[in-house]
Amino acid sequence: MATFELRQVAKSFPDGEAEIRVLKGIDLTLAEGQLTALVGSSGSGKSTLLTIAAGLQEASGGEILLDGEDMTKMPPEKLRSIRATRFGFVFQSSHLVPFLTAEDQLALMLDVSGSRLDAAGRAKQVAEALGLVGMEHRRKAYPASLSGGEKQRIAIARAIIHRPRILFADEPTASLDSERSHEILGLLRKLTQAFGMSTLMVTHDGEMLPYADRVVEMRDGRIEGHTWRTANGIGT
Amino acid sequence: MKLAWQEMKRNRARFAILGSIVFLISLLAFIVAGLANGLSRDNAALIADMPEGQFYMSGEADGTYSFSAIDPSLQSEVLQSRDGSMALSIRLGFLNDADGKQLGVAYVASVSEEENAKAKMLPTVHPGEVWLDGTLAEKGVAIGDMLTGDASSDKAFRVAGFVDGQKFSHAPAAFVNPDDYAEMTGRAEMQLLFVPGSPGETPAGLEAFTKGELLGSIPSYKAEQLTLNMIIVFLIAIGGLLFGIFFYMMNVQKMGLYGILKAIGVRTGALFRMMWTQMAVVAGIAMLGAAALSALFAAVAPGEMPFRLSGSSMAWLAVLFLVVGFAGSSVSGIQIKKVSPLAAIQQGEM
Repeated sequence: MATFELRQVAKSFPDGEAEIRVLKGIDLTLAEGQLTALVGSSGSGKSTLLTIAAGLQEASGGEILLDGEDMTKMPPEKLRSIRATRFGFVFQSSHLVPFLTAEDQLALMLDVSGSRLDAAGRAKQVAEALGLVGMEHRRKAYPASLSGGEKQRIAIARAIIHRPRILFADEPTASLDSERSHEILGLLRKLTQAFGMSTLMVTHDGEMLPYADRVVEMRDGRIEGHTWRTANGIGT
Repeated sequence: MKLAWQEMKRNRARFAILGSIVFLISLLAFIVAGLANGLSRDNAALIADMPEGQFYMSGEADGTYSFSAIDPSLQSEVLQSRDGSMALSIRLGFLNDADGKQLGVAYVASVSEEENAKAKMLPTVHPGEVWLDGTLAEKGVAIGDMLTGDASSDKAFRVAGFVDGQKFSHAPAAFVNPDDYAEMTGRAEMQLLFVPGSPGETPAGLEAFTKGELLGSIPSYKAEQLTLNMIIVFLIAIGGLLFGIFFYMMNVQKMGLYGILKAIGVRTGALFRMMWTQMAVVAGIAMLGAAALSALFAAVAPGEMPFRLSGSSMAWLAVLFLVVGFAGSSVSGIQIKKVSPLAAIQQGEM
């Protein structure tokens, strides 16, 4: 069942008298438990598409349907609430809060999402999330003492601790070496399937594509094609 | 609030520096306020300690009490008709002790129809006697001593007693009998009429003054208080500006963080609360420290230093500091409202 659907999403920016059309009518549906990779050359519009889908900037046209409700018509407070409760974010840089320990980063996300768990329940959930990303031994560490890969693992744990429906990942391995990149993508894929999330990831790195259930190729603000990875191999 | 505390815990040095500056500024403000209050009392406790009411001078005195001369029949009429009213005269001069040492004083004489009511404010003095402010006792004057009046009169006074905190124009008050005062000054008319309570109709030929207006007419009082109050106002403004600048700098550094927090769903209001909490904690601790040290200063300050700081004065100043700090930090917090999550995400590592 489709949970998240983009219909004819367009985005344009004024450029003097003219208009630059960055997205030219994108149709895209994300399925539960699947990792969708958005690829394309620089300027193809993939990052713009991800940030519009995540409610971080407005579309110029089209609809973004979350469980049938059009996000483009929602007031900012409702969009904020959706980002806090139903979306998760992993950014290119980990963007952790510098003065919080790993476990406090996760506890903050529980607060933001309005978790009603008691102290014991929260501690358990934080420990579980850290366990899922293999970082329970670093729970008291501050970002300054973590490596790039460790920071990104904590960022992933923060993104999934409140069990979001949709996970947005913007170049999550861009600042990591090849080995750490494979670890992180393996983790994202595992968590996407384990929690039945719909994950939309922007990447430049062709090596990471095998981790995606579907690869959506963009060019000049349009979707050029879809590649599906099925149990029987690759399909288009 | 938790986030605010976590940041303060992690960045102790940064907040301690702000706190120490606010502490020093508020300490200075408390001490200057104590001095302003002390000097005010030193200058005008005689008038300031009188109950609320109305003062009257003769119209032709043009607001200068030393030029005022109340018509005796009008004086008598007011004293008989207004409960608790009294007439008084004040003149700066000096007394000589047995060794010929001059003691600067403010001679005060008062008349009332109801001596009992007046006695609650000023001592009743018999002819040939003088009651003195207690500071003269500290200078060696004792009850029973014979003092002589200044050069304008050879009148001798026996010290009958002392009263606490009665000064005028920085001179200790010397309460004398109205007849002695008239003999010394050659003027039978009193200078001021005082009527306690809410102001009534101003008797013909007189000009009405509130206590504040009369205090303002004392030479040096207004200039002294204005100067000190201006210093206090500047210190409070500097405190507010300091908070504004500090949080502006902090916010500029944290724009990326705020953007990311907004992106993951943190409310803008929560970020403001975080900043206000930090402001309140820093200011609160700094104020408590400054108040404690001011109280200690008041206890150890030398007697010659006119320092008087009440708890309510400190509370008022602390509230003013908090209000100004709140405004300063809020103005700098406008950046938080403007920050774009998208820009923060594109900005890179914080």
